[in-house]
Amino acid sequence: MVRTSIRLVLSLSLLLILQSIGFAQTRMPQLKFTERTLANGLRVLTAADRSSPTVAIQVWYHVGSKDDPPGRSGFAHLFEHIMFKSTKNMKSEMLDRLTEDVGGFNNAFTNDDVTVYYEVVPSNYLETLIWAEAERLSGLNVDDANFKSERDVVKEEYRQGVLAPPYGRFEYLLQQKSFLEHPYKRPTIGSIEDLDAASLKDVQEFHATYYRPDNATLVVVGDFEQAQLDGWVDKYFGPIAKPSRPLPRVEVKEPPRKSEIRLTEHGSNDLPAVGLTYLTPRQADADSDALRVADTILSAGESSRLYNSLVYNQQLAADINSSAETREDASLFLLTAVLSEGKKPEDAEKSLLAEVKKLQDAPVSAAELEKAKNQIITDQLRQRETSNGKALALGEAAVLLGDPSRVNTDLARLQAVTAADIQRVMKKYFADTNRLVLYYLPEATKKEGQ
Amino acid sequence: MLTKLPFSVALCAILCVVCVQAQTPQATPPPPAPPRSGTFPKPAEQTLPNGLRVIVVERTESPLMAAQLLIKNGGEVDPPELAGLADMTANLLTKGTQTRDATQIAQQIESLGGSLDSGARWDASFATVGVMSSKIPQAMEILSDVVRRPAFKSEEVERLRQQYLDNVTLALGDPGSIARFVAARVVFGDSPYGHPVSGTAESLTRITAADITKMHSRYYRPDNAILVIGGDINAKDGMALATKYFGDWQKPTTPLPTMSAPAVDAAPKTGRIVVIDKPDAGQAAVYLARTGINRKDTDYFRGIVTNSVLSGYSGRLNQEIRIKRGLSYGAGSFLDTRRDVGPFVASAQTKNESGAMVADLLLGEIGRLSSAPPADVELTPRKAVLIGGFSRNLETVNGLVGQVGSLALYGLSLDEINRYINNVQSVTTADIQKFAGTRLDAKTSNIIIVGNAKAFLPELKKKYPNVEVIPVAELDLNTALLRKKQPAE
Repeated sequence: MVRTSIRLVLSLSLLLILQSIGFAQTRMPQLKFTERTLANGLRVLTAADRSSPTVAIQVWYHVGSKDDPPGRSGFAHLFEHIMFKSTKNMKSEMLDRLTEDVGGFNNAFTNDDVTVYYEVVPSNYLETLIWAEAERLSGLNVDDANFKSERDVVKEEYRQGVLAPPYGRFEYLLQQKSFLEHPYKRPTIGSIEDLDAASLKDVQEFHATYYRPDNATLVVVGDFEQAQLDGWVDKYFGPIAKPSRPLPRVEVKEPPRKSEIRLTEHGSNDLPAVGLTYLTPRQADADSDALRVADTILSAGESSRLYNSLVYNQQLAADINSSAETREDASLFLLTAVLSEGKKPEDAEKSLLAEVKKLQDAPVSAAELEKAKNQIITDQLRQRETSNGKALALGEAAVLLGDPSRVNTDLARLQAVTAADIQRVMKKYFADTNRLVLYYLPEATKKEGQ
Repeated sequence: MLTKLPFSVALCAILCVVCVQAQTPQATPPPPAPPRSGTFPKPAEQTLPNGLRVIVVERTESPLMAAQLLIKNGGEVDPPELAGLADMTANLLTKGTQTRDATQIAQQIESLGGSLDSGARWDASFATVGVMSSKIPQAMEILSDVVRRPAFKSEEVERLRQQYLDNVTLALGDPGSIARFVAARVVFGDSPYGHPVSGTAESLTRITAADITKMHSRYYRPDNAILVIGGDINAKDGMALATKYFGDWQKPTTPLPTMSAPAVDAAPKTGRIVVIDKPDAGQAAVYLARTGINRKDTDYFRGIVTNSVLSGYSGRLNQEIRIKRGLSYGAGSFLDTRRDVGPFVASAQTKNESGAMVADLLLGEIGRLSSAPPADVELTPRKAVLIGGFSRNLETVNGLVGQVGSLALYGLSLDEINRYINNVQSVTTADIQKFAGTRLDAKTSNIIIVGNAKAFLPELKKKYPNVEVIPVAELDLNTALLRKKQPAE
């Protein structure tokens, strides 16, 4: 339930596809949605699709781990878990009774910027779930025993995600070290010490501060009657008051990097890993589209540049990745390699940098650009096979991009990216002075070597 | 869920533990409305003259298609000293054909926006393509080329061998992966299902290009294969494409290879308690493992419903281990049904200190299936979980192709998809009690814990003085003994 990075995008019209890539037969359906805002500030986005008797319900709260209280890193995510405990009229885990027990499911995720709760149920349960989501927005009623046992679960989640996998701490460190000032420097899962410090009082305070209708977006996609759904939303969410206290927002700006940052850490891994990060602009920035295409060219599939160079041709790496990891306030572009047996991290770093330089020095070919765009479109089609996937796309456009209609226009923006755009953003953001380099080496080499 | 079932089903109205009458508008949840029904696409099938069985299943909601070519043998036919051979063979299909090199294959399929994967499971090898539906012919041509005309060049064999060896190294750094490997050896000993399907460091170094070519010519033949095409394509077009790209695939005159011997040792080991000591493990992986059932067992539906009582978010294991005690991020179980008897595994990861306690809880819950079997109030929701998950899986093109392919592989009627709900619904409390008592007896289960032994061994020894402790550096996955031979001094 942590830091699921959603990279959902979006659809575009048949016309655009025909013009730009000539897919005579591919239809990319528009997501037709309605939008309204209740008097208490709750934004409601709905899209009917009656092809199957199921419905996806999501509530997006505009609060994430960047809003963790001081000394409470990991709190927004811990709070997400607590939201499945009791409210005035719901016993602990009652949401599972209303979803899982009737053949549906529920889950939630927290990232740096948002916390999202979602359910998919047989559509005859829609009203029940609208009631349940309104219920947990109105207030929590959690006892200390429940709070502590769920906190233990989150500590096990930390161990399972960060401590047990050989590269869990590597990924944790890459985020932690990449930001110096902005609260993004606190990984979403937090730390054991800060989780231990959290209390029930913090829970009530956090709920009162951030869980309010004017900080929430309800998204419903699937099998419903519009008028009936609108009536249920009014009935159950309408009476929830909008608090008068102001909604705090993170104001801290991450300063630009002035020179390269180099770090070496050791862990329980047997093969060394190398990670590079570059600070890139916030998600809504116009350059995000070109960075996303560059990311696809670098690491999507076995024909990608990093795979071809580091894994296939040089056999330097067992695994490579790149990621245009967008965030609301400031983003990161990551390049990572887990080395092959007997290879040197210096050589992997050099090869990663060589691929960055190639993208700066020469424009990508038309064929390579089209390949990347085809990969992105197919990805989007897959994500939109389900109602839940469509709802995630709609929620992301509304909450993180500030405009739900971008669910239908963003793919056109990606289509408009040119080879020159890619070269330009690679030069703009991939300067030596904007780089962090992390070597993550086996503990054993520390004992022998130093 | 419940998508597209051909008949009206009341599976949503299964049970509502909280549906009491509302006193105030908001104090209790509004009850569900009557459920809507759906319909499910019907597969069309045909066997080509060369013996290839072709199945097309249309689903037009999204402009996507997937095609999967299944070979009816996988890791089960690996010779004991060549563990990983079937998987390497399947993986190498996409690494070069007589007319395309590995780079060209990746380049061409990815230019279509598509994906091409290949590999081996226990009882099948597969190659799968997925593309948007406007690219189907190009994708089918590539699929046909890689399956029928792989080159198996020695440089590609070497490259893949190194990748597999690196993956072994990575897996041996993770307590959960180590536990899975060890559990297979403990349950299946030196019989086929005992080895890692992707090989061991030692077996991988022994595999030659000649072994791979031999494996391919022996098993990759149309009369030992199934082609499933699903998604935005109709039966007529699907059959025409299958004929065009696979119709001239020659059937060898030699007889089909016979099936391997039963996978389970005549006398499987039971009651082994194995600890793999990995002092730097950030968490302990706790596994309870034993033999389960095969896919065609008449107890199949009783088995999967029994497993659903244990597994899933609100299943008994997660209730006891996570929800009540906060001992894990998630506990669950898996009844892995294969051509022969597969494993039943219950597992959780927990802090090293609670390793012994979690092992006890896993065992206790298996036993409780017999002593306190689920009454309807518990059983009905666990059936709904299965039915909902099954139906959701069929909502995506990949899920649909996977389900249909699996039924075809085991020689089951494709119509089982339409009987699934009734089959699940008809399982009773008594069925579960009997299944758990006769097929999942806790007393004949094995326990495997991988973690920092210092933290949980004293507690574990109190109950199991016969525990075997193996330092991770001495672990040998090539043998049921699990321990490297000491070098002669």
